Amino acid sequence: MSTLLSLPTAASQYDWGIVWDNRSMLLNGLLTALEVSFVALIISMVLGMGLALVRMGRAPFSWIAAIYINVFRGVPALVSVIWVYFGLALVLDISFSVFQAGVIALSLLYSAFLAEIFRSALNAIPKGQKEAGLALGMKPVRIFFSITLPQATKIALPNVGNMFIGMVKDTSTFTVIGLLEVVRVTQNLVAETFQPFVLYTAAAALYVFVAFVLDFLFRLAERTLDTPPNGALSRGLRGRKQRRIQALIDAQPPVRPSTAT
Amino acid sequence: MRAATTVPPTQHDSPESAGAPAHRPSGPPVVELRQIRKSFGDLEVLKGIDLQVHKGEHVVVFGPSGSGKSTVLRSINLLEPPTSGSLKVAGVEYGPGLPGEGDVKKGKPLDLRRSVGMVFQSFNLFPHLTALENVCLPLRSVRGVKRDEAEQRSADALRRVGLLPRAAHFPGQLSGGQQQRVAIARALTLDPEVLLFDEPTSALDPELVGEVLSTMREVAELGMTMVIVTHELGFAREIGDLNVFMEDGVVVETGPRGFFDECHNPRTQKFISAVL
Ligand SMILES: Nc1ncnc2c1ncn2[C@@H]1O[C@H](COP(=O)(O)OP(=O)(O)O)[C@@H](O)[C@H]1O
Ligand SMILES: [Mg+2]
Repeated sequence: MSTLLSLPTAASQYDWGIVWDNRSMLLNGLLTALEVSFVALIISMVLGMGLALVRMGRAPFSWIAAIYINVFRGVPALVSVIWVYFGLALVLDISFSVFQAGVIALSLLYSAFLAEIFRSALNAIPKGQKEAGLALGMKPVRIFFSITLPQATKIALPNVGNMFIGMVKDTSTFTVIGLLEVVRVTQNLVAETFQPFVLYTAAAALYVFVAFVLDFLFRLAERTLDTPPNGALSRGLRGRKQRRIQALIDAQPPVRPSTAT
Repeated sequence: MRAATTVPPTQHDSPESAGAPAHRPSGPPVVELRQIRKSFGDLEVLKGIDLQVHKGEHVVVFGPSGSGKSTVLRSINLLEPPTSGSLKVAGVEYGPGLPGEGDVKKGKPLDLRRSVGMVFQSFNLFPHLTALENVCLPLRSVRGVKRDEAEQRSADALRRVGLLPRAAHFPGQLSGGQQQRVAIARALTLDPEVLLFDEPTSALDPELVGEVLSTMREVAELGMTMVIVTHELGFAREIGDLNVFMEDGVVVETGPRGFFDECHNPRTQKFISAVL
């Protein structure tokens, strides 16, 4: 490693070259952080939706959900992962891999956050939507999946994106269980090179970069869900559907509206 | 607006005898309300409503705001289940029933709603779906019609309300009048026994009212059984086979065609002259 030469005076020297030299380790750390976060995001979305529905439902259960949400929203990720990795091993003799422990720790916290996001999104759907479904004779489950959920998803999406960014950053605390994420990799490199300023700045740059990209992706997703006249992008993406409907229109006989049976 | 003296002895019911029609279609009614009461907490909103709607009949319900018109419609499809009283649709009991009639077998709300259509004041189209999909969704999920056939039938329904060229548009791209016509098509495609309209033109700009009323006229001409809550008394006068004036949760007066010129009750007369 070329940087070893600069060891004696390292503290006073900025050697940005070491970032490039160790890029694959740093990027692997980032990949691990993204993997843990992504798996946890999927789990949290399912659990969070379940929690939101229970929270909005009948009394004793809704209280339990409310308590869960309010407790876990306040727990730091560091504590959560220590509970899961060390606590569960001690108390229940369950041991997880560091990856699993990270996923579970994040899911415990973020299902609580996402529950609140989904709850307010579901509450934002006008009452008339569900009533229209009921009046048409649709079953409540069908109303949920075909009418309420798609509309709520669109409302919730920007906040879900923010949660995902938060999750990626929270993986930095998992260095405590030895997960080889960005901070752990950085610490290892610092121990070798004594370049904390350079390396931590590089680590921060990676987080910022990821936040930027994720924000872009979620905005894109939001816009594809947007219906015209707002979503110019969605109009393009819906081309196939539009053509299908146009074919139907063309196939219909051009009869005057009123008298046909 | 005074009682004509030469009318045949059509029944103008007083509140006490409301719901005892004289010259009305025979046969079992499609919708029958007997002594329907509804309370929200301590507030009694419906104080014993009687109403019969026969096949092919066009019933107009009117009266001041807050008198309980919407609640009557919403109790017919159980969006607001009655607190007490009997609600029968197509001969099946869905309400709590009347005391003294014993245990009647009750129908399921889902089955009731599948034979009663409703058009709302605020349209309530599904904003994330195209006009065609709005009509298609209930056809597929309620009637279980296959996709291709459902789309064909939806396109046909949109053609009938004159909106086939807008089939691929989303509700946000349609005017209020067009949205309401899609909503009518959506309800019609399910072939309901009776179609309820709750102030279908009240949310519309004045210039858009006409197109919705003419769509409703066409639906009426097809023989659809309709119950219409409306403030458009001109339209009501023209379409109403049975006219029901409500105030404070009771039916004040009912009458047949010509009712608007012949009503007896001073409260009805006062309301009509204020609106017309
Ligand atoms: N869900 C509800 N909860 C409490 N009060 C209600 C509810 N729905 C209607 N009301 C009350 O019932 C009365 C009748 O309402 P409504 O049937 O909407 O009257 P209308 O349609 O004739 O204007 C009003 O006083 C209204 O405030
Ligand atoms: Mg009303």
